[in-house]
Amino acid sequence: MSKVLSLPEAVDRFVPDGVGLVTVGGMHLHNNPMALVREVIRQNRRIKRLLTSPCGALNAELLIAAGLIDEIATSYVGFEHIGLAPCFRRGIESGSLKILECDEAYITHGLYAGAGGLPFVALPKGIEFTDIPKVNRENYSFTTDPFTGEEVPVGAPLKPDVALLHAYQADAQGNAVVAGAHFVDRYMALASKTVLLQVEQLVSTEEISKHPQGTTIPGFLVHAVIEAPGGCYPTASHGAYEFDHQAIVEYLGMAKDDDGAQGYVSQFVTDLSEHEYLEKAAERLEKLRYGSGPLAVALPDRKG
Amino acid sequence: MTVISDSSLTFSRSELMAVELSKRLRNDDVTVMGTASAIPQIACRLAQLTHAPDLFSIAGGTCSVNPHLAPVVPSCGDYDLLRADTSLSLNDVVLLEGRADVLTVFFAGGLQIDAYGNCNLVAVGDYSHPALRGPGTVGLPFLSRVGRILIYTQSHNARTFVEHVDFLSGPGFLQGPSSWQAAGLPGGGPQLVVTPLCTMGFDPDTLRMRLETVHPGVEVDQVRAATGFELIIPSSIPVTPEPTTEQLSILRKLDTNGLLKGK
Repeated sequence: MSKVLSLPEAVDRFVPDGVGLVTVGGMHLHNNPMALVREVIRQNRRIKRLLTSPCGALNAELLIAAGLIDEIATSYVGFEHIGLAPCFRRGIESGSLKILECDEAYITHGLYAGAGGLPFVALPKGIEFTDIPKVNRENYSFTTDPFTGEEVPVGAPLKPDVALLHAYQADAQGNAVVAGAHFVDRYMALASKTVLLQVEQLVSTEEISKHPQGTTIPGFLVHAVIEAPGGCYPTASHGAYEFDHQAIVEYLGMAKDDDGAQGYVSQFVTDLSEHEYLEKAAERLEKLRYGSGPLAVALPDRKG
Repeated sequence: MTVISDSSLTFSRSELMAVELSKRLRNDDVTVMGTASAIPQIACRLAQLTHAPDLFSIAGGTCSVNPHLAPVVPSCGDYDLLRADTSLSLNDVVLLEGRADVLTVFFAGGLQIDAYGNCNLVAVGDYSHPALRGPGTVGLPFLSRVGRILIYTQSHNARTFVEHVDFLSGPGFLQGPSSWQAAGLPGGGPQLVVTPLCTMGFDPDTLRMRLETVHPGVEVDQVRAATGFELIIPSSIPVTPEPTTEQLSILRKLDTNGLLKGK
């Protein structure tokens, strides 16, 4: 059964207004599912709680700029060497955005627990010497290790309602190749009830099955496949193109205050279709492309 | 642009910082670094190409092991970093961080760093109404488990170096000797702090930060004034050795993008 949908159809069907916990894939300026994020903004879908990977970037920041996020669960939102995330920062400083303070290990282990139906996950000792568990009692707690009698930190499972993810390639059933780094995207797919996958390339099942070990997201976890070439822009799509440093600098310049951030959202998201947005970016995107696609380890020919 | 020059060599403060970090790395180290880590990345490469050829380094983000690209890139998640010896998944690296006996060095930093080497990447001021909301802590809680913590920062001023961090997101020597001993953490704590002005270590009795060397052209009083807590200052403070011609030549072959230039 084909799960291929247009970008507007996929968001309309699977991201209801007021949805509970949404997670966005990608890390730092890499593999952010920006086509899906922009479409959520165009359809004005409010999200009660947004969960990032250990390092969120434009994927979280733009949803905050659009005023769609009530609360964010994260261990980092920023633009690495380029700068802090202005709307994330202003939202928390002003109190308009709530935050569930997390750390990288909890997000990673919490998704594992969510994926496996574990009631909670024990965490390595050490987090109790930080202030993080004190300000996030919903995700962090302590219990007695039944084997040693010691008190140990534990984390609640993370079970997103919807995951917005990017992959390099998929077939119509959602069997997908993640090129380059997986970050925690695979665990987001494993832990979430509904998975929306935007891809650079839609290919045949015959093509995908040439390298099953490189096809690390199985279609049975995926609910919608959206062909979105250029869909990570202005962030990078591993195996396809680099991030656009200049475009991020432009965003940071505009988002210095709320009016500027809203101006950016209108000018680059809501006033344009995805197609129109990418047409405008096409020239710059071309310059960021890698010369060849990613390498996948193909199966050998049959014997004899 | 803060370029230091003497009669024979010209180098930037970031280049000097990379060289100082590099010197603290050992041949049997397995290092991990995180966000915006051009300086430690170059420090590890320099160590591999000089005194520590068997060192392994992991670029947190892509989690590639021994990336060997030149020029070095500024983002720890870059696809180009996967031009490496091998790569782990992020989940694998986070798992290994929990073990505390495999990964030996972590490069840390903070919006605030206190006298005991505790780091804060979360919030300055009251947590509920912060004066400055930081990006978040990412993997800094791992500091409690890693063998050696090497701290680096581009900002040496009294806002960054404070007596107590407003929010503890990366454990150093906690509140000093009694709390550090009581905690019984597997990690060895912070060993070194490198800034654009100086290098600092930690006094073994009080576990407070102690000036070790001042960079060429920097006065001890300048460091004292730029530090928001009472820094331990021994009677004799050597000048940080200048990078050698060989070190600079290796750095510049790796850093043709000039990430360490002019800073």
